[in-house]
Amino acid sequence: MPEVVVSIGPHHPALKEPVNFRVIADGEKIVRLELDLSYNHRGVEKAAEQRDFIRVLPLMERVCGICSHSHSTAFAKGIEEIMQLEIPPRAQYIRTIIAELERMHSHLLWLGVAAHLIGFNTLFMWTWRDREAVQDTLEEMSGNRVHYGMNEVGGVRRDLTPEQLNAALARLPALEERVNKYVVMVNEEETMLIRFRGVGRLSKEEALRYGTVGPTARASGIDYDVRKDDPYLAYKDAPWNVVTDTHGDVYGRTRVRVWELQESLRIVRFCLENLPEGPIRVPAPKNAPKGEILSRYEAPRGELAHFIRTNGTDKVERVDIRTPTLANWTSVAMCLVNQNIADIPVIVAAIDPCLSCTSRITLLDNHTKKAGIISFDELVRRYRSRNPEDVQP
Amino acid sequence: MTGPLTLDMVAGKMKEFGVSEQVRNNRIRITTTPEKVHDTIRTVQAMFGFDRLITISAVDNTMTLELVYHLTGPHRMVVSIAVGLPRELPAIATVSDILPPAAIYERQIHDLFGIMFRGHPGLARIVLNEDWPDNEYPLRKDWKPNPDTFYGGIKGERS
Repeated sequence: MPEVVVSIGPHHPALKEPVNFRVIADGEKIVRLELDLSYNHRGVEKAAEQRDFIRVLPLMERVCGICSHSHSTAFAKGIEEIMQLEIPPRAQYIRTIIAELERMHSHLLWLGVAAHLIGFNTLFMWTWRDREAVQDTLEEMSGNRVHYGMNEVGGVRRDLTPEQLNAALARLPALEERVNKYVVMVNEEETMLIRFRGVGRLSKEEALRYGTVGPTARASGIDYDVRKDDPYLAYKDAPWNVVTDTHGDVYGRTRVRVWELQESLRIVRFCLENLPEGPIRVPAPKNAPKGEILSRYEAPRGELAHFIRTNGTDKVERVDIRTPTLANWTSVAMCLVNQNIADIPVIVAAIDPCLSCTSRITLLDNHTKKAGIISFDELVRRYRSRNPEDVQP
Repeated sequence: MTGPLTLDMVAGKMKEFGVSEQVRNNRIRITTTPEKVHDTIRTVQAMFGFDRLITISAVDNTMTLELVYHLTGPHRMVVSIAVGLPRELPAIATVSDILPPAAIYERQIHDLFGIMFRGHPGLARIVLNEDWPDNEYPLRKDWKPNPDTFYGGIKGERS
């Protein structure tokens, strides 16, 4: 049977963000996939070179609407390390609380989107309702639902009052109960088992080879987690475990995320109950000395890396942002091969892609298992030649 | 190779490739030359298990274009392999043959800095839009937008 090119996006009812898939299919089976993600390049890195640190932080928050705290924390802790600033424990704990609440709202949002994509809209309504409790906590603490604006170089901008702490603690038991329910559901609910199991499988070797990060990697049994590997903030003090699973498919990625919700709840509870007294910031000098740092941070979607070079002024010489979604694209192209067209949305969603952070393209060859790209003309040529070798997996 | 890794262990074995230094408790930085990057990465992969590419960072320091390859491995140390390339005709061999995730990072650097990666399976445009003019590399320090050039968006509107 000849191969057919199915073009999906960038504007498509099934897609949440602008992305273009050129799916080369043989019947219902996917043979190759080409992704084009260059719809969102905004030049943030160049803009960051023109502003002083105080103005870069709000810019960093706006790299992404979901993991805004991740970007500003990664940048702030990098600059602080270059300045050799020791930020107070209370600020570390507050940053950790916001970071883990952010992970929780991100994972709950993802669980809802995944449920929606398989037509399980009841779960979508439930998780998004529960996510509101997390959002309310964040709003109480920071004043905002999305861009929290909590970080500054040297600490955090807002202290937490005892009332805020109690309000947050009061919301936790209900959330814990709900999350425990989701853990049971993910493992037993028939609708989810049928659509998630065996879909988009990635072996441990493949996940390592294609450089996956975050829950996608941990679902394939790779225990990389920057919070443990390169501890920052209060992760050294809090009791928590790196969650891994061995399934390597969408089912495994879902299990990892719901377990991470439980771990995040433990971290948040610990930090709220053990919040140290003291100042929330130290005065930071205007200029940073010459230096460079690779600031690593475990964002909800995986490892986020900010490479920062300073030059002795109040501006950065260069900030190079590598987002987790960019690291995960190669593996998406890999796990779509030989899968059903109907499973594209859920497999792509399983890495929790965040496109406004990331604008990239990749292509994977089914025969050689090599990642790379081919030109459009080459694609057309291959399609027209109808060479049986191109069709048969 | 899963135990802790010290600078002494690395520096001794990596002497032929360049100077190793410990910049932080779990970070080692090796400064090498463009011709040796491929071999350096192969050696740290084989000898110390640095098999996971975190990212490739690029910096324009106005004299040279620098590339820094950050790798980690089961021991959770991070090695940063740094090289400088001449600003006129910057070119280096690709490492996407030994580290598949590098392909995507190299294309991004090619777009923004105009560094040529020899042997790359396809250095097509990736982050810049299709209307972006050729031979303009926005993250180079000497790049300034030209008011008469069309950089994308809708023609006639200021982008």
